[in-house]
Amino acid sequence: MEPLILPGTLDSLTQIGAYVLEVASQAGLERKTAYRLRLAVDEIATNSIVYGYARVGEEGDLVVSAEIGDGILTIILEDTGPAYDPFQTPSPDDLDQPLDDRDIGGLGVFLAIKGVDEFRYEWFNETNRNIFVMKINDQEDS
Amino acid sequence: MAFAATLETSGNIAAITLSGELDANSAGEFRARVEEAAATSPEKLVLMMQDLTFMASAGLRVLIFAKQKMGSDVDLFIVAPQDPVRETMEMTGFHHSVIMLDEYDAAEIEG
Repeated sequence: MEPLILPGTLDSLTQIGAYVLEVASQAGLERKTAYRLRLAVDEIATNSIVYGYARVGEEGDLVVSAEIGDGILTIILEDTGPAYDPFQTPSPDDLDQPLDDRDIGGLGVFLAIKGVDEFRYEWFNETNRNIFVMKINDQEDS
Repeated sequence: MAFAATLETSGNIAAITLSGELDANSAGEFRARVEEAAATSPEKLVLMMQDLTFMASAGLRVLIFAKQKMGSDVDLFIVAPQDPVRETMEMTGFHHSVIMLDEYDAAEIEG
């Protein structure tokens, strides 16, 4: 599929979601697996928009591309905002606490990294590159 | 599908029906309904989720906001969430703090 290039604003999230679900369907991913992949991409794209472009007052694009091959579907999400490595976001340590005592941070990155089979981050050429990998033949219903 | 959130209040119960996709872009609308609900000082907040097809962490943050705004003695009911939405709440431990129901159960909610 052709890469998708959209402005780095929250209005773009719907189209990013539709793109990921379309690619997941082409790859034959099971519905729940496709949902988790879409959620992962949505969460990281949201961070790129909110903590990247919006925080520093920059405008820029989000580029989403997909590759299917060797039994895996790979989605690549790129932005040219400030360097942001999701692995540097601490995992929430209060998931067993009542909501009254919860901190609101870190949930999105947690869901993204937990939700896919493999997640990688690269900073290359002044670009954040987030790589999401799902195994295509993994029909485990978990 | 576009997001929508509608609020109905009856007695001490505030019910918000959610539909479509709840992401960081639409979470503000959900939060606004929660603030309207909180203004009526309900004893119970019911979220009807059967037509909610997607929920990102921005939606979870509104649930935390609701619980913190209304106080811990206000019960939060989640009615008929779709499987992936339920899974997200379970992964993040939210199911411990809410009452999840497969369908609207008047005895449970209004009792």
